[in-house]
Amino acid sequence: MNLMIAVPFVVPLLGAALALLLRRSPRAQRVSSAVTLAVVVAGATLLLDTTAGGAVAVTQAGGWDAPLGITLVVDPLSALLLLVSSVVLLLVLLYAVGQDISGLSRAMPQVFHPIYLVLTAGVCLSFMAGDLFNLFVGFEIMLTASYALITQALTRERVRASMIYTVVSLTSSILFLTGIALVYALTGTVNLADVAEKLGGAPPELRAVLALLFLVVFGIKAAIVPMHFWLPDSYPVAITRISAIFAALLTKVAVYAIIRTQTLLFAGDDISSVMLWIAIATMVVGILGALVQDDINRIMSFVLVSHIGFMIFGLALNTVAGIAGVLYYLVHHIVVQATMFLVNGLVRQYVGHTSLRSIRGLTAVSPVLALFFFLPALSLAGMPPMSGFVAKVALFEAGAQAGGWLVWTALVAGVLTSLLTLMAIFRVWVRAFWGTPLPDMLEARAELRRGPDVAGRRVMAVTTGAMVGAGIAVTVGAGPLLEIAFTAAEDLLDGDAYIEAVMEGAT
Amino acid sequence: MLLPFLLALHAVVAALLPPLARVLGTRVFVVACLPPALTALWVLAHAPDVVAGQPVTSAVTWVPALDINLEFRVDALTLAMVLLVSGVGAVIFGYCARYFHTGERGLGRLSAVLVLFAGAMLGVVSTDNLFALYVFWELTSITSFLLIGHDDRKEHARRAALQSLVTTAGFGLPMLVGFILLGQIGGSFRISTLVADPPVGDPLLPVALVLVLAGAFAKSAQVPLHYWLPGAMIAPTPVSAYLHAAAMVKGGVYLVARLAPGFAEVDPWRALVLTFGMATMVVGGWRALRQDDLKLLLAYGTVSQLGFLTLLAGTGTQVAATATIGVLLAHGFFKSALFLTVGVIDHQTGTRSIAALSGIGRRMPVVAGAATLAAASMAGLPPLLGFVGKEAALEAYLPGGDPATALPSGAAAVVLVGVVLASVLTVGYSARFVWGAFSTKDTVAERRVPRPAAAFVAAPVSLAVLSLAAGVLPFAVDPVAQGYAAAFDTSGEPYHLALWHGLTPALGLSALVLVAGALLFHRRVTVARVQQALSRWPDADRGYHGVVHAIYVVALRVTRLLQSGSLPVYLGVILATLLALPGARLVMALASGDVAPPGAGGNELRFWNTPLEGVVALLIVVTAVATVREHRRFPALILVSAMGFGVAGLFVLYGAPDLALTLVLVETLTTIILVFVLRRLPATFGTRPDGWAKRLTVLLCAAAGTFIAVSLWLMTAARTDPPVSLGYTSLAREAGGDNLVNMILADFRALDTFGEVVVLATAAVAVTSLVLLRRSRVVEETDPGPDETEEERAGARTGEGERT
Repeated sequence: MNLMIAVPFVVPLLGAALALLLRRSPRAQRVSSAVTLAVVVAGATLLLDTTAGGAVAVTQAGGWDAPLGITLVVDPLSALLLLVSSVVLLLVLLYAVGQDISGLSRAMPQVFHPIYLVLTAGVCLSFMAGDLFNLFVGFEIMLTASYALITQALTRERVRASMIYTVVSLTSSILFLTGIALVYALTGTVNLADVAEKLGGAPPELRAVLALLFLVVFGIKAAIVPMHFWLPDSYPVAITRISAIFAALLTKVAVYAIIRTQTLLFAGDDISSVMLWIAIATMVVGILGALVQDDINRIMSFVLVSHIGFMIFGLALNTVAGIAGVLYYLVHHIVVQATMFLVNGLVRQYVGHTSLRSIRGLTAVSPVLALFFFLPALSLAGMPPMSGFVAKVALFEAGAQAGGWLVWTALVAGVLTSLLTLMAIFRVWVRAFWGTPLPDMLEARAELRRGPDVAGRRVMAVTTGAMVGAGIAVTVGAGPLLEIAFTAAEDLLDGDAYIEAVMEGAT
Repeated sequence: MLLPFLLALHAVVAALLPPLARVLGTRVFVVACLPPALTALWVLAHAPDVVAGQPVTSAVTWVPALDINLEFRVDALTLAMVLLVSGVGAVIFGYCARYFHTGERGLGRLSAVLVLFAGAMLGVVSTDNLFALYVFWELTSITSFLLIGHDDRKEHARRAALQSLVTTAGFGLPMLVGFILLGQIGGSFRISTLVADPPVGDPLLPVALVLVLAGAFAKSAQVPLHYWLPGAMIAPTPVSAYLHAAAMVKGGVYLVARLAPGFAEVDPWRALVLTFGMATMVVGGWRALRQDDLKLLLAYGTVSQLGFLTLLAGTGTQVAATATIGVLLAHGFFKSALFLTVGVIDHQTGTRSIAALSGIGRRMPVVAGAATLAAASMAGLPPLLGFVGKEAALEAYLPGGDPATALPSGAAAVVLVGVVLASVLTVGYSARFVWGAFSTKDTVAERRVPRPAAAFVAAPVSLAVLSLAAGVLPFAVDPVAQGYAAAFDTSGEPYHLALWHGLTPALGLSALVLVAGALLFHRRVTVARVQQALSRWPDADRGYHGVVHAIYVVALRVTRLLQSGSLPVYLGVILATLLALPGARLVMALASGDVAPPGAGGNELRFWNTPLEGVVALLIVVTAVATVREHRRFPALILVSAMGFGVAGLFVLYGAPDLALTLVLVETLTTIILVFVLRRLPATFGTRPDGWAKRLTVLLCAAAGTFIAVSLWLMTAARTDPPVSLGYTSLAREAGGDNLVNMILADFRALDTFGEVVVLATAAVAVTSLVLLRRSRVVEETDPGPDETEEERAGARTGEGERT
């Protein structure tokens, strides 16, 4: 029994309730939400420490042993993702607070804070669920909150986007539920560890069908090609803080679910060639989309799709090195994607939009903003010395070790994608950050400097800077992070530690 | 050792420069001088040890799990490169202080990026780890991108910057893969280990080498990847002098020279290096002959010399290695001196065009003298370092010149002819440079130009003098060359850099080259006419743009095809994927007999347990089909809820009255709420699929339903263990209740229930906020741009971005 495990799920919900009560006094609400997320960060840090060296922490919720009760499990993978996600959630919240203080977004009703914290609880629960149905519940909490968030500050464009987003997500949920029913039909249990053991005796072909079904279910949410189209149609349209957190986290939760289910439940099933093909398609189609976009947020959304392909590639290798690479890639991408969207939010201050057609010379308008864009852009493009480079090397090394013609094809696709990513991202730099600034951008800058809401904008800039700093920390700390990733990957591929920890004392 | 600190010093100084520039103006470059100057002094202090074969090493671990560590190793080759990178770099930075005007745009940024570049380049030439090499290598690409695009208001600069980045970084990626391969088959990512013990014989080794060479060739502007270098001349002249003469473009040559001791013998290393080197040497020289812009003349000259250097560095014999160091240093000195001269001329006269310059030699005799000296070194005139290097190079390919030569005599002869031909061209364009820059031409009006300040001229003069001094005193340079060449087979007497080797065939060839080159210059009008006639060669630059354009066209087509923006299409694709992945797998398994349909033993297919089930099922099916066919909203809603009641009926039949009750409640509530919503919506659905779209939809949905049903049937039949729910019965008593469903919801799996309550509460809060949100409070976070029309936004949505 480890009560610490409850913190990342329970504390945000308490915070949400508090935030709802405090909706009449924005200042108190901001403080309480920030404190809540800071507690989650602290809890996640302690959990990461607990799982150091590959230990698995387990809580049987309600005191009923697995498989009858619900188990919450934190292994190194969960702990790592909890920590990174909570840090990003905290920073994005602070950015949103800055935006609210600056008065740039009067539209946000006071329910933003409670719903945001519910989203946090859902994300955390998904990372910790040791039970297939509970994972579904975690997803539902997260998704319901996300439906609520994406419909904030509605415009006609956003109604359309949230319609696509909601209906596609619901479809994925229905298929998820169907998958759970099938798993229960085959094994008579939904506890992940228990399922893992009992699937061993099931016919391999049926197991493979389930493996592919869950790949599709989570693949929709992870936006793998050919089920990616909803993402670039919905994320960029939402307001900054929301697209930042969606792009950074929601697809990654789905990738986490793919990792968990494919390693723990379907380890013996060879669907890696299917996954490699998906990886190739996702990398290439995604980045081709990014090349021809006109809006920076849309470009980043397509890049996001493309880079999910990299993660699927590493996972398909089914080796310690491959999965460790994916884990580091996840951490890197969560931080960098969030940074990118926050920076785009700062760009909006000067031009009111993010369309490349009428942005010029941002470097001259704000050199600091240019720096904030350039560093994560390098990272996203996989250029050294940033974290994206380390992540890419980790995956390429793993791929070269694994070998095989299909892996090499995927590797070539990865190289091509890296080059096209570079072109797509530096196209943004060349067109938006270089050149002679447009007159209205300089006016906007002068107005912003004179404006009464400097304090809020400073908070936004500082949090964005902190996010850039987090990206640098992921780079500098690549050594220890990859050590954790390797430990976690060994745990995942072994599976015994997880199963033993959960089933200890099982009836 | 100090090297990591020196690298860090570069970064720290770079960070300080932008604020300093506001205070110091152009004097900021004097501060920028510090890191490279200190580095040069440091390396000179270590020179005796290093040339004696005792490399200085140190290491900083970064990502040990992936072997990405900052390991450093300074040997003779590194020493030579550091002298260029940091020594020449410091001189050029000093020159910058005079070249730029106070108040010039972005001085802080420029100086900072230049120092960062110097640091990155220092890293490239001093690291001993393949990954660290790649890191520094791409850092030079990025800083070079920023430097070329320094005047970012010019469209031309922006294009050239992007082109050079895409080319060098784009070919850097295959190089990275090559490094990974090399490290994996060689068992180490440490360069010195790999070179000392190359994994010869591994079938993947040639692949790895080809990939690595691709990166090196792009960086060193080898034909046909040379197009970016002339474009990069848009950068300020000191930047060109540094990046595109002394430092960055030597990166590729350095890599070839670094790996040659271990891999020159492996096919197809030599074939590639000699072919591309020779082609580059000749093409570059030929094109340099016809340039009017002095800077472009030097740029093509650089391309030519880079080919020459790649050829020498990759040959992999003792004599060629000695020549490599000689030519490397010579080129670094004379080419940067010449670039700086052009900078002076440009600065004083405002033009670099041969056709517009006249009488400059008389106005600036010192500059003219220095430039002539440097050009003489470029042409290979004694007693300059260029001559010493070229002698060695000729010797390397002469029959019998190198006893340990590994080249077949035929290949050596071809290379020798190529070297001689390129040298003739070099003499030709060297002479043309001096004539074009300084002569008094009758056809051009002379203009009065201000004399340059002494401090301004100091940099080119000192570099030219260095060319002379190193030529007269070759024994100062020779130990470095010997230190590097010792890595090669020296079965015979080692070759030394010297002015006088006696009356050798190489000397004869040198004389021949000079005479032929002089003739070429003398006949420049005829040469120009021949060049005019031959100018319709395929243009590599056009090739680059063609490829980029093709990528954009493909990207546009693919994206337009896939990103339809239609929700029904999206859902259809999801169902199709469901059928294509797990669905197809199930069909295959059934077809191959791996999964047999359940047979006897209680699992055979039955239609129902009681006929009542059949009735309820029929009700569900009929209402489902009717719902889809109904085009009015209200009747469709009634049909959906009828279907829900049917499902509740099934629950009753299976003995779950609690569930049935819950479902009935939910269905009733939903229907009532939806009725209220429907009042505000049109009476009928707006669009309905028709024709083949409708048929396809029906087919997809039916197939998906069948897949789920069949899976459920098969999986239930194949159940491995008794369901865990049986365990609840015994636990219920312990928990103190006897309604199992309630116990599960409220106790055993209370966490799920709690989660679903949270879901409901969230939905309620969200809906309330939407409903209560008064119209007046809806202020958009941002207004869409005033000039952005609905069509434009729709265009953006379907991916019709404009092409660059």
